Amino acid sequence: MQTPRSTPHARGLPAARAQAVAVPRAAHLGRTGLVWGALALAALVACSTPPTPHPRLAAAQDDWRQLQAAVPPAATVAPAGPEWREAEVALARATAAEAAAADPDELEHLATLAQQRVALARSALTRRVAEADVAQAQQTRDQLRLAARTAEADRAQRQAQTAQRETSQAQREAQAAQRDTQAALRSADRAQRQASQAEGRAERLAEDWKALNARQTERGMVLTIGDVLFDSNHAELKPGPARSIDKLAVYLKAHPQHHALIEGFTDSQGSEAANQALSARRASAVMDWLVGQGVAADRLGARGYGEAFPLAGNDSAGGRQMNRRVEIVLSEDSRPVAPR
Amino acid sequence: MTAAPLCLLVACAGTPLPTAELAVAAAALAHAEAAGSAQAAPAQTAQAREKLRLARVAAADGDALRAQRLAQQGELDALLAESLTDTAKARQAVLDTQAANAALREEMARQRP
Repeated sequence: MQTPRSTPHARGLPAARAQAVAVPRAAHLGRTGLVWGALALAALVACSTPPTPHPRLAAAQDDWRQLQAAVPPAATVAPAGPEWREAEVALARATAAEAAAADPDELEHLATLAQQRVALARSALTRRVAEADVAQAQQTRDQLRLAARTAEADRAQRQAQTAQRETSQAQREAQAAQRDTQAALRSADRAQRQASQAEGRAERLAEDWKALNARQTERGMVLTIGDVLFDSNHAELKPGPARSIDKLAVYLKAHPQHHALIEGFTDSQGSEAANQALSARRASAVMDWLVGQGVAADRLGARGYGEAFPLAGNDSAGGRQMNRRVEIVLSEDSRPVAPR
Repeated sequence: MTAAPLCLLVACAGTPLPTAELAVAAAALAHAEAAGSAQAAPAQTAQAREKLRLARVAAADGDALRAQRLAQQGELDALLAESLTDTAKARQAVLDTQAANAALREEMARQRP
């Protein structure tokens, strides 16, 4: 019943000891209302004891000081737990018992308990530090795993992007090749079409000229229309079926790049001045008729040459008939035909 | 120094057998051993066992005070054995987790292009 735990049961003389033991506890708890007589007795007893420190208690106190110094200064762990308080209480009890010169067996017992409590506090501190370390290591592990997953995802995405880039590149190249092929095909097609068109135009032109009964000369294609168009001494065009002049109008409208010079000629009968005037009027009549058919006037020209440039002799009726004529000179290009 | 023998005399006369303290110490020892204290803290476990045995002997001899003191010390030895066992496990957990982290770091360093 001498342990502080059973203080309420202490009676008589041991009460003084019990009170003496209770002093540090009371001070620890902030309670000061103690029996001063008991204190005085305890002090008296203590004074009468030689100050030889109890070896086990001294060892416990030493352990405790070392443990205080071992607490991490950075306070990453709270050292004060229930074990810490139990150690403080046990040490206080043993120290008080020593101060009160308690029974050696009791003091040995309390010193042993204090030593054990300090060892428990040390173990608890070590465990708390380890638990904090585990928590930190687990946090680190979570961060590492997250980083690993992120890196994995990044890698997969990069691979996918690379594959996609390569695919699009291949597609673009294929499309470009296809476009090149099509362009080449179109180009060849166009060239062929142009060639065949040019060929066709040349063929049609030759056919047209043949139909007009034209002949090639140094000045260009020349179409000769005989005296069937006009009555004698008149300059009015006579109507009639299948005239060369109708074909000429169609031709000039179909080939708008060509120019035409219309030249009138007569035989040598009558005065030269009259013949000149008549041939000019007849050329103008043909030109007016062509303009009336829709051929632009700036593509046409008309001249009268009278008796000049006969095709045959005027001494026979056949020769004179050949000389009475209208010739139409067609340009081969888009330039007007130069007169004689 | 007349107080000590007197006290002892009174204590011996008035102290009942510490049945509760013995039971508490036995329970603490059983708890520690269940946690594996015999392997992790063999010295403290053996001491707790020995103190409990001596406490029972003292109780059988009718020395209630000695039985009580030995029971209390035996209980603390058992608590210390279990505490040391738990602490050893925690320290091992630190080592395991740090080793796992090192392995993970190494793995990541190898996979980095």
